[in-house]
Amino acid sequence: MSKNNTATDKPGKTGKWTRRAFIGAGVVAGSALVVGVAVRQGNPIDRLSPLLAKGENERLLNAWVKVDADNIVTAVIPHVEMGQGVYTALAQMLADEMDADWNKVRILEAPADMQYVSDSIARDFLAPDLDVPAIFEPTVTGGILELAQAMGLQFTGGSYSVRATGQRAMRTAGAAAREMLVAAAASEWQVPAGEITTANSMILHAGSGKSEPFSKFALAAAEQSLPAKPTLKSPENYTIMGQPKARHDIPAKVDGSAVFGIDAQVPGMKYAAVRAAPVVGATIESMDASAAKTMPGVLQILNMGDFVAVVADGYWQAQQALNSIDAKYSKSEGDSLDQDALFARYATHLDEAGDDGGDMETETGDVAKGFASAAIKVEAEYKVPFLAHATMEPMNCTAWVRDGKCDVWSGHQAPVNARQAAADAAGLPFEDVTYHNAYLGGGFGRRSESDNITMATRIAKATGYPVKMIWSREEDTAQDHYRPSATSRFRGGLDKDGKAVSWDNIHTHLFDPKDAPTVPYYNIASHKIRKVDVPTQLRFGPWRSVDHSQHGFFIESFVDEMADAAGKDGYTFRRELLAGSPRHLKVLDTAAKMSGWGSALPEKHGRGIAFVPSFGSIVAQVAEVDMSGAKPKVKKVYVAADPGFVINPDGFTAQMESAIAYGLTAALYGEITLKDGKVQQSNFHDYPMLRINEMPEVEVALINGDHKHLGGGGEPGLPPIAPAVTNAIFAATGKRIRELPLSKHSFA
Amino acid sequence: MTTVRTFACLTVFLLAGCSADAAPGPVEQIIVREPGAAPVATAATAVAADGGSASALLAEGKAAFANCAACHTIEKGATNGAGPNLFGIVGKAAGAVTGFAYSDALKASGIIWTATNLDSYLADPAAKIPGTTMVAGAIAEPAKREAVITYLESATAN
Ligand code: HEC
Repeated sequence: MSKNNTATDKPGKTGKWTRRAFIGAGVVAGSALVVGVAVRQGNPIDRLSPLLAKGENERLLNAWVKVDADNIVTAVIPHVEMGQGVYTALAQMLADEMDADWNKVRILEAPADMQYVSDSIARDFLAPDLDVPAIFEPTVTGGILELAQAMGLQFTGGSYSVRATGQRAMRTAGAAAREMLVAAAASEWQVPAGEITTANSMILHAGSGKSEPFSKFALAAAEQSLPAKPTLKSPENYTIMGQPKARHDIPAKVDGSAVFGIDAQVPGMKYAAVRAAPVVGATIESMDASAAKTMPGVLQILNMGDFVAVVADGYWQAQQALNSIDAKYSKSEGDSLDQDALFARYATHLDEAGDDGGDMETETGDVAKGFASAAIKVEAEYKVPFLAHATMEPMNCTAWVRDGKCDVWSGHQAPVNARQAAADAAGLPFEDVTYHNAYLGGGFGRRSESDNITMATRIAKATGYPVKMIWSREEDTAQDHYRPSATSRFRGGLDKDGKAVSWDNIHTHLFDPKDAPTVPYYNIASHKIRKVDVPTQLRFGPWRSVDHSQHGFFIESFVDEMADAAGKDGYTFRRELLAGSPRHLKVLDTAAKMSGWGSALPEKHGRGIAFVPSFGSIVAQVAEVDMSGAKPKVKKVYVAADPGFVINPDGFTAQMESAIAYGLTAALYGEITLKDGKVQQSNFHDYPMLRINEMPEVEVALINGDHKHLGGGGEPGLPPIAPAVTNAIFAATGKRIRELPLSKHSFA
Repeated sequence: MTTVRTFACLTVFLLAGCSADAAPGPVEQIIVREPGAAPVATAATAVAADGGSASALLAEGKAAFANCAACHTIEKGATNGAGPNLFGIVGKAAGAVTGFAYSDALKASGIIWTATNLDSYLADPAAKIPGTTMVAGAIAEPAKREAVITYLESATAN
């Protein structure tokens, strides 16, 4: 095997395909053949073609896998890499089903094209119970696919990649490709397909001793009819799934050769720095650019209505000139908004809703009766602040609009949306925009928004030459799409044995996922969950684990308060609530056992437990906190997680660890505040990140509880960390934390 | 000299088959100066002296290079992307850019990047150098290859 074509030993070689290049490779380099789920004349899913192939050349559809003359298997990944390891996990799923030689698997990110919209994501939204491989069910999928296209979903988020695209598309595509290769070999060798086996990208027939590489039959395979429902492996036959395969993207990130959005290089490119009106909805009334005009390197100064931009030869020059510009802003509705007023507004709305008002989200049993008959009643109110994403790579985008065409370079979680945003901003049809996606230096939901794409395209349209726009950290902090702040109130009832019998929750704001405030896994006879919508002018956006980030803290804090009122410890109390759900219990028990729950701890130390199922995965965490100093020191976190089946244990563990780093940052420090409508934080001095010496040791146990229903990995590790820590603080000090971040509280 | 353009209205509706809420252009645009002659532009002027068609070819090649720019830089000393920097590539030995992790196949190819070799490589990289890791960017149309190669030729020190 030649070393140069492997996925693992070829750092930085993830290809980026434009659609043209992609089709070109299939046509020009005649040796390369796309098999698997390519839709072409005469195959059984031809009916899908009219829905998908709008242009005459578009015969390659949902091509997830390619076999070329060198017997290299290329997995085409319709998701973006933002550090979550998705390239590797999805390629593992495809390669395993195909029986490909892992050392000869290459990875390509799919082009920003409608062909790669995540129909599997749309399916999960629309028909989550359907257990058919998405791309092979024309009737079911056709409609959904159309919808997905309309929604522009080639989206990476919601912890969807592995559980939806991987499970439904990559595995099916790999299995289909394998079956087609086998069928081609069977017909050439004149032996029954059932006697043929595959392994390591080879096709074997034991009886005749024949063996040939996949590539030998790639051409003939493409002529085979597409299996309607290819057989997927069961876990005992997995050889690549479940293995800690080395991450494809890591070598290039270590040696610095990985290309992120901010690294885009376009000949003749200039740089732009930008400053938006500080209050959402305000516009630039006037700007005094007299100093900026004389500053070195400056090419253009633009008042774009909602933001000011300076274009210069270099980024630093642009930013310096921008800093010298004095702008006057129009009045906005949001001008008066400040922090305390906002939470007061939440309180007013919640007061008005009272015990029965608000919009009902779920209701089971008779809460009023349950509450009336309760021997012990518990009430509490919790608050969490706005949070910024603070991606390590600041927001940026490079754009070039000329001659009726537009090229855009960035790192985006939804490349198709980015392409559409550029088309809108440039005033060009979608087809005339080429979107080049690169690695994302952190996404966390921030890079699912397209404001940066729109801004850069507008600037480039005005200048006519290519421009790389980079936001300063100050701009990044002050102009984010924030995780919403929220207030949540609870009333709970316990019977005389300390068993939870009623649960009433009302909270502000609900975004997504809709099940975030619900607790169906906890066996409580009656519960109702309500929300009130409170308008604020701030821009909201998804933030790692989305609404679970707030509700995980609310719910698991309140469960702990109920446990305390019942005179039980948090673990025992939750065990009772989970009785009858063995899969949930196993996760809870595993975390408790790992942590030595119940054993003695040093003085001023405490243990706290939290349990949050989210995005299809079940996660329990126990945090051990040392409260002997002036601020909490989280020493160790024990994690038990059951995502159904872990495709790459190394990658999944890393996701748990990074979710803890991200969630602990927010729990300890994260807070965006408003004064006169303006965000008051600007950079890492007032929006701090967790430091390396503050990172707890993390121990992760993985549980494969249901290989048929996979859960996500990117987000589920986050929601439990804040309540696990605050519950531990309570255990150590008796002080109940009902408002985040912890930096607001004094522990002296 | 500074040019100031002030636009009459905030919202400029663009009609070219796009959505009605096409993003607004600038309210005020102060052009302090046009970008200085980039290295590429200098080369373009030099070629233009030999006649109009050469410069048209060069312009076409420059535009076609957008397909390569996702992976390659061309300015002198610019960092390598997914592919090596291509400044001065014409006439150079294959695999000679320092700091780039080439495939063994390309390194061992012994090819000198003449226009002819570039032409066949760009037509079908994997056929020219089996095992090359340049997995995209092939150009089917011979005329377009010629244009790109002309553009590559222009990007040299002399
Ligand atoms: C998908 C990314 C990609 C695209 C697009 C791409 N290339 Fe490449 N190119 C590479 C890689 C990777 C290599 C190194 C190949 C190897 O080591 O085998 C390379 C190598 C080359 C080489 C050889 C360089 C040397 O130092 O020996 C030339 C010449 C070249 N590319 C030209 C082009 C041109 C011209 C285009 C556009 C028409 C283009 N490439 C498009 C990735 C790309």
